[in-house]
Amino acid sequence: MSKFNQAIYEIQNLDTISKEDKWVNHIHPLIKLFLTVYYIGLVVSFQKYDLEGLCGMCIYPIFVFIIGELSWKEAIYRLRIVLPLVCIVGILNPFFDTNSIAEIGGIAISGGVVSMVTLMIKGIFCILAGYLLIATTSIEEICYGLRKIHIPKIMVTQILLIYRYIFLLLWETKRITQAYALRAPGQKGIHIKAWGPLVGQLLLRSMDRAQEVYESMCIRGFQGEFFIRKRNEKVKGEFIYFIAFLIILLICRIYPIFEVIGGFFL
Amino acid sequence: MHMADALIVPAVAGTMYAASALAAGVSVRKVKMENDSKKIPVMGVMGAFVFATQMINFTIPGTGSSGHLCGGMMLSAILGPYAGFLTMIGVLLVQCLFFADGGLLALGCNVWNMAFYGCFVGALLIWKPMMKQKVTKGKIIAASMIGCILTLQMGAFSVCLETLASGVSELPFVVFLATMQPIHLAIGAVEGLITSAVLVFIHEARPELLWGVGEKESEGRFSLKKTIGILAVVAAGIGGILSLFASAFPDGLEWSMEKVAGTAELEATGGIYDLVASIQEKTAFLPDYALKSSDSAAGTSISGIVGAAIVVLLCVGLAYLFKFFQKGKTKEA
Amino acid sequence: MSHIHIDVENLIYAYEKDHQVLKDISFFAEEHDAIGVVGANGAGKSTLLKLLVGLDLNFKGSIRVEEIPLEKETLGKIRERMGYVFQDSEAQLFMTTVEEDVAFAPRNYGLSEGEVEKRVTYALEKVHIEHLRKKPIYKMSGGEKKLASIATILSMTPDIILMDEPSVALDPKNRRNLINILNEFDHLKIIASHDLDFIMDTCNRVILLDGGEIVESGSTDEILKNEELLEMHGLELPLSLYRK
Repeated sequence: MSKFNQAIYEIQNLDTISKEDKWVNHIHPLIKLFLTVYYIGLVVSFQKYDLEGLCGMCIYPIFVFIIGELSWKEAIYRLRIVLPLVCIVGILNPFFDTNSIAEIGGIAISGGVVSMVTLMIKGIFCILAGYLLIATTSIEEICYGLRKIHIPKIMVTQILLIYRYIFLLLWETKRITQAYALRAPGQKGIHIKAWGPLVGQLLLRSMDRAQEVYESMCIRGFQGEFFIRKRNEKVKGEFIYFIAFLIILLICRIYPIFEVIGGFFL
Repeated sequence: MHMADALIVPAVAGTMYAASALAAGVSVRKVKMENDSKKIPVMGVMGAFVFATQMINFTIPGTGSSGHLCGGMMLSAILGPYAGFLTMIGVLLVQCLFFADGGLLALGCNVWNMAFYGCFVGALLIWKPMMKQKVTKGKIIAASMIGCILTLQMGAFSVCLETLASGVSELPFVVFLATMQPIHLAIGAVEGLITSAVLVFIHEARPELLWGVGEKESEGRFSLKKTIGILAVVAAGIGGILSLFASAFPDGLEWSMEKVAGTAELEATGGIYDLVASIQEKTAFLPDYALKSSDSAAGTSISGIVGAAIVVLLCVGLAYLFKFFQKGKTKEA
Repeated sequence: MSHIHIDVENLIYAYEKDHQVLKDISFFAEEHDAIGVVGANGAGKSTLLKLLVGLDLNFKGSIRVEEIPLEKETLGKIRERMGYVFQDSEAQLFMTTVEEDVAFAPRNYGLSEGEVEKRVTYALEKVHIEHLRKKPIYKMSGGEKKLASIATILSMTPDIILMDEPSVALDPKNRRNLINILNEFDHLKIIASHDLDFIMDTCNRVILLDGGEIVESGSTDEILKNEELLEMHGLELPLSLYRK
């Protein structure tokens, strides 16, 4: 049952840190959203043997982690869901791609090994970038950003409502499964006989709740239009931040930055 | 079966984003046309419901393991495919943002693989026709089972295609497919069982909540057939593009293959693709991929390591400097 | 006759045919009235309140709010003057933060952002929760949620407040606090509850419902001190009266 607590804790924690009063948190959500997608796009666009170039992309997460005063521990913890999948897909590469493409200290390194490591690092960078976005931008801000790029209102409203009721439904589901577990000791999950009634009850209750929410909206003048708060915050330097990262990341994408800079000193 | 960002290339991500966006666009229009303002809170609360029930462990009889729910088909049997699809997008986005399940770039893929098939194929093509006449318990079970198994198979197949088209795995396509499909057959069967159990319960308790039951085909200018037609064409088109990638470039999409980026199919991603492709061209003059020649490997790695140390130090230093100035500013203010 | 009033005449309501939930309800309430609607579970209290805000229009008889008859065309106008507080704060508060939720109604009525801001501040001050302005709903306690729920309707500056079981799940301190806040609002309130002590502390008039009918109405003291009458209709004397 701790799964529910874990989920609740994770969302609450992200919600709290994303609303902290830090410079990065105040940057316009669209800038952060765009930079994140841009960064992930650049990362995955690296060729499968281009391990060196890819490593240069670490500067973005490092920089934002420090200025955002974020916890590495939590970010790494998030890797647990996606990384295994990426590893499974990549783990067989060394067996199928045995062409030796490099040699370090006399040991031949096959293309498969390089492409496997590249894939894993890509996975790590992408997840870190996602974490940086949500840890510095609240869901309300993201929704505001989505509205700005003309994502239909119905979608954005959806996301806000889902977010609002996630906590409640998680609690409720937790209670219902706990009540079940108390009367069915020694079972690992929910027995097939209870599948329908247990989830069904929860579903009916959710529908009833939705009905009340709807009534509550109607009473307060809701007529199908959902208004989302305007945002008039502007942070100094956010535009410079944006442009600087656009350029720096592009340079890192083109040149194997580590090697170039290292070359100056050797 | 969440796709991860790392497993796809931007071209595939873009294609799938475009496809999902199209389906979402149709859905938004359709939901707006229904003009039922009550749908909005219902979709929100039900989205949270799906999210929460995905965390329940369902014991699979006869085995020691447990199954889970994905929910697309169940949601659509209550809300209808259009509202169901939009709700699933919300659920997937929240999962991706808060739990790193999936990824921002792969969201288009995930929406397609998990929500599109479940909502449109499952609910529109299987559930609705079967429920048009008299609804029985047996029919609900049959529709749920067929719907879930079929849509999960389609989803798993799409995952394989997308991975293949991205060329990140050396795994032969057939092997990948042979692993994914049977696993998802089992997952689909469990999902089908859960879905049917829940829907049968709802049918007995509050039958009016089920979507499309006893509904006549009375669509206006946006008829069911037309919608199915459009969706079929879109699906076929995407399948075509992906398999084109897959068959033409078994080693994945290499950046040097600029010609592909120029073709019409890739318009959606043309910008970034072209950009990066041309950059790649320029960098070809540089002695990159030094790893390839084993002679210079040692030299390269030393300069690489030195460079890495310097860049990382510089980056950390700059970040702290930046933070220092930011703090100073807020104190002054 | 004062400007603020509700006039209910021969109200009949049935969920299904042959099952009347409300039978021939008539009453009149005007400014400065605080009416307690009391009765056992299932007496029809909540249904009555829901009908008053027009959540279901399939009733017979008439409901007039400030001389406007309650019907589909006048719903918007009437709801602007009336606030309804749900028993379940979770349903009442559907936005992610208190501020957003309190601003929901003023925004729907097309007020400018500046005016919305003023209304939010006003409403939060009225219930003394200015400090919770930015707080996410999921982090709030039951008492805080109830106060926030009231703020969400005060931001519409209503003439009339309707409340369904406001004291449920409140601890004594929050309950006391809520009573004080309600007593500060002196236009017109109608409170449905089976918490008779709460009604004693907040209302001057009481309507006693049983089986969908008004069996008695009068001053709070008159009805809530009549042990025989209360027991006949499934209620008990307020606890505070036992102590004396």
